[in-house]
Amino acid sequence: MIKVSGVSKKFKLYHTPTDRLKEKILRKKYHREITALENISFEVKEGQTLGIVGQNGAGKSTILKVLSGVMLPDDGLIEVDGKITGLLELGTGFDQELTGIENIFMNGTFLGMDKNEIERKKDDIIDFTELGDFIYDPIKTYSSGMLMRLAFSIAMHAEPKCFLVDEALSVGDAYFQQKCMRKILEFKNNGGSIIFVSHDMNAVKTICDSAILLDHGHIISSGDPKDIIDYYHGMILQKAHMGDAEVIVNEVKDRTDHKTPNVSTGEVELLSFKVLNSKDEEILHIESEQVIKVIYQVKALKELSDPHFGLHVRNNLGVSVFETNTYCIGAKTFSLKKGQIAELKWEFFFPLSAGDYSFSVGVANKGYGRDAFEEYLLMAHDIEVLKVIPNSSSIIYTGVFNMKPKVTIQEGIDSSC
Amino acid sequence: MNLSLILELAKRDITEKYSGSTLGALWNFIYPLVDIFIFTVIFANLMGSRLPGSSSVYAYGFYLTSGVIAWNAFSNTVTRTSTVFLDKKYIISKVKVDLSSFPLYIAVSESITYVVTMGIFLFLLLISGYGVSRVILFVPFIYIIQQIFAYSLGFFVGVFVVFVRDLKEIVGIMFKIWFWFTPIVYLYDVLPDIVKKLMVYNPAFSFIHLYQTIFIYKEIPSLKPILYLLLLSLVILFFAGIIFKKLEKDIRDFM
Repeated sequence: MIKVSGVSKKFKLYHTPTDRLKEKILRKKYHREITALENISFEVKEGQTLGIVGQNGAGKSTILKVLSGVMLPDDGLIEVDGKITGLLELGTGFDQELTGIENIFMNGTFLGMDKNEIERKKDDIIDFTELGDFIYDPIKTYSSGMLMRLAFSIAMHAEPKCFLVDEALSVGDAYFQQKCMRKILEFKNNGGSIIFVSHDMNAVKTICDSAILLDHGHIISSGDPKDIIDYYHGMILQKAHMGDAEVIVNEVKDRTDHKTPNVSTGEVELLSFKVLNSKDEEILHIESEQVIKVIYQVKALKELSDPHFGLHVRNNLGVSVFETNTYCIGAKTFSLKKGQIAELKWEFFFPLSAGDYSFSVGVANKGYGRDAFEEYLLMAHDIEVLKVIPNSSSIIYTGVFNMKPKVTIQEGIDSSC
Repeated sequence: MNLSLILELAKRDITEKYSGSTLGALWNFIYPLVDIFIFTVIFANLMGSRLPGSSSVYAYGFYLTSGVIAWNAFSNTVTRTSTVFLDKKYIISKVKVDLSSFPLYIAVSESITYVVTMGIFLFLLLISGYGVSRVILFVPFIYIIQQIFAYSLGFFVGVFVVFVRDLKEIVGIMFKIWFWFTPIVYLYDVLPDIVKKLMVYNPAFSFIHLYQTIFIYKEIPSLKPILYLLLLSLVILFFAGIIFKKLEKDIRDFM
């Protein structure tokens, strides 16, 4: 369990290191202050994972540093029942000149293991890293992925109660990332608490039980990871707009009565949204592998020279299944005068496996490059939820969608040839 | 901060410096051996330096050696402790360590060098026929107080070195001056009276002089100066502790 209550941290910035001392002695102000964390409180129970998201400079790294004890908070209390280790940046306190195995002993001691304990766990640690004979080489010869493997393995074998993970995990290759993820889940199932800091929103959605959104050192929202990430995307939209339009974050009630944040700059308005089957009947559920239509109307509240419209389908975990827009497709759109309404009609095949899927709509202006826009105008999340039920005439499968495989089996091949 | 961590760091400290070389940690002992060799053989035999009132050819070499061994342990401990936060930044900024006991590994590692050098020195004293007396049993006691002083001083300065980098160089120069202000190479007796009086205020003299008394003159040392030194060390340690408490957060932020 990790309990953080009312933690604040300010950084004082000085011109030169000496100014810091001058200030202490002369009692005169020589710094400017930056609030890294202000009154942060949260709790991660046993077996729970908390995701922390936020833009660069929001205070994510500072939280991790304070939690790991490398920095002291100005105010507030941190309670941890047991050891806290983690995979923070690369080569946590490694000595470049020492070999992998020497660093296991060095780093292990830092993490509170004694010599006998390390001796006992040494082989397990090395096995997990899969470094082989490289373990006898100085770690200055290691790649960043190899360093990450070593750091992760030591941190996990130190038997922590709480584990901190940040972007460092993404240095590893896909195979090792998965291996680490399995280990993290195993740790979690055994009652460990995890704090996960990442810019990979899908990973946050997949592994976190709850999440907090940090901005300029404040928690501006906390709760279900999916909602937090929607909110976060909204913030990015606001930023992409360079602040030349006021952004309204309002809660829109949709038909399933599920509250979702809807972010808009107030320059367009989503008037209606319908999901239809091939017979043009409005539907709430459909059999898989049918054609569906999505129709929505957008009203321009100012003149839009080159508006484009997007559609985003996500599964019940919030993971993106399909997303595109008229600009990426290359569809021709028309400029809209103030007050004019554009109706979008999408028609597509829906081969997704059984489950709930949500639709989100985006509107942007002036596309450039491969898939970017100068102005982002609206992002309405999870407006409608469509339940897909298995197609009774289809094959039996699990996964994301029906790939419609063709299989041939050849009989009578002699194994001797 | 646990003992196993201090010992692990001390072990690395000794092996690391010469890692990659064939003789490795042995170099730690070759250097002092060469020093002692120069002091005794070159000074005594080639330059004919003599210690007044002593008939032994080696007396001056041994006088010099006894002072230098103690001085090296002292000055290395202080100078290295004072820069330990900067030198070990890569650890301090990444792992939670108790900053106040972290530098202890330097005192331990310097002590190992000291013990080995002392062993060589004792060996030379014996085979040269100069001999040792039972008063050397005071040496461990003196050494421990000397190291408490060294650690306290190093830690005190170290807290400031984080913010004022120039202090590192100033400490280096101070120790050069201090070395020559202490009767190690020359004899206390050759000093003018005025400097002799000042010597009371030289903490290094209080223990260096004891070594010389024990090894060269084989007399029972007066322990009063070293007890003063212990008192001084505790005062410095106390103030270092207070200042450290005030600045710890800044030190960590600064790393």
